[in-house]
Amino acid sequence: MNTFALEIWFDETSLCSFYTVRKDGFEDNETDLFFKKFEDEDNQYNNSAQELLYLIVNSIGDVYGATDDFFDRIENKAQALPPKPKKWIPEIKELGIHFPLRLLCFRISESIVVLFNGGIKDQRTEQESKDLSINFYEAQEFAKRIVEALRDKTILISENGRILTDFQNNTDIIL
Amino acid sequence: MKSKVAERMLAKMPNDVKIFVDKYADIVVRINLLLKEKGFTQKDLAEKMEKKPSEISKWLNGEHNFTIRSIAKLEAELGETILYVPRRQLFQSEVGHKTVMTVCRNDQFNKNVQFTDGNSTKIQKVASLSLAIS
Repeated sequence: MNTFALEIWFDETSLCSFYTVRKDGFEDNETDLFFKKFEDEDNQYNNSAQELLYLIVNSIGDVYGATDDFFDRIENKAQALPPKPKKWIPEIKELGIHFPLRLLCFRISESIVVLFNGGIKDQRTEQESKDLSINFYEAQEFAKRIVEALRDKTILISENGRILTDFQNNTDIIL
Repeated sequence: MKSKVAERMLAKMPNDVKIFVDKYADIVVRINLLLKEKGFTQKDLAEKMEKKPSEISKWLNGEHNFTIRSIAKLEAELGETILYVPRRQLFQSEVGHKTVMTVCRNDQFNKNVQFTDGNSTKIQKVASLSLAIS
């Protein structure tokens, strides 16, 4: 994988900052590419994209933070939003399983989440869904690089827990 | 900082989408909290619920979102209220003071409040019982 920039996507929220990645040579970041696909009001998934966006920036960003209610406790791997439902509670299962879109992400903490790209989930798993599979594998690579950078302190988390910087305190981070 | 795409979509977002997502998030978090408080694991609850296979089957094959019926079932299993619905309640004093309030938390409370002297501070006191004057 080539280098990519790790940049703020949405941080005008009280509890959680959202980062994204922008591939080298690309004008748009990965999360904008995802939402642009469904932004047109005539797009059949526009309503779902709106719901997902509001879940992210309002429910997670402003009301609850990136808690376990919205994320699985899987370590060092990308996962999808909306959250994978807890399979033994029918109500939550219904809400997650039938949602047509998945946005891949990596939770660094309850205050910082990196959002990637995503797509339409039309098969049992993200990997099997045509629109999602490439983004799924790419998201795992992004997450792996971010985990390594956090481990070797190429990336640092600010004291307030909301900002990522490189080891020279720059907020423009290239990995 | 805010993504321009997100900004555009938020500006055009209908209120019903926001309300739906707010309620969805609140209910998911509330159920998780109740499970924790009651010391139920999710598996415990499933086992408890699987004693009623016909209902489970209905839920699994039914609507995609919460229904009033499914919330009622969950409230029954957990023994706690998940969803509060505001309702309006008339309060009237003996000296003619009358007001209608929207009850935001409809837990059991004494509805037969008497205002013997019509003192507005008493009305205020009742209002502070998590009620909002509409």
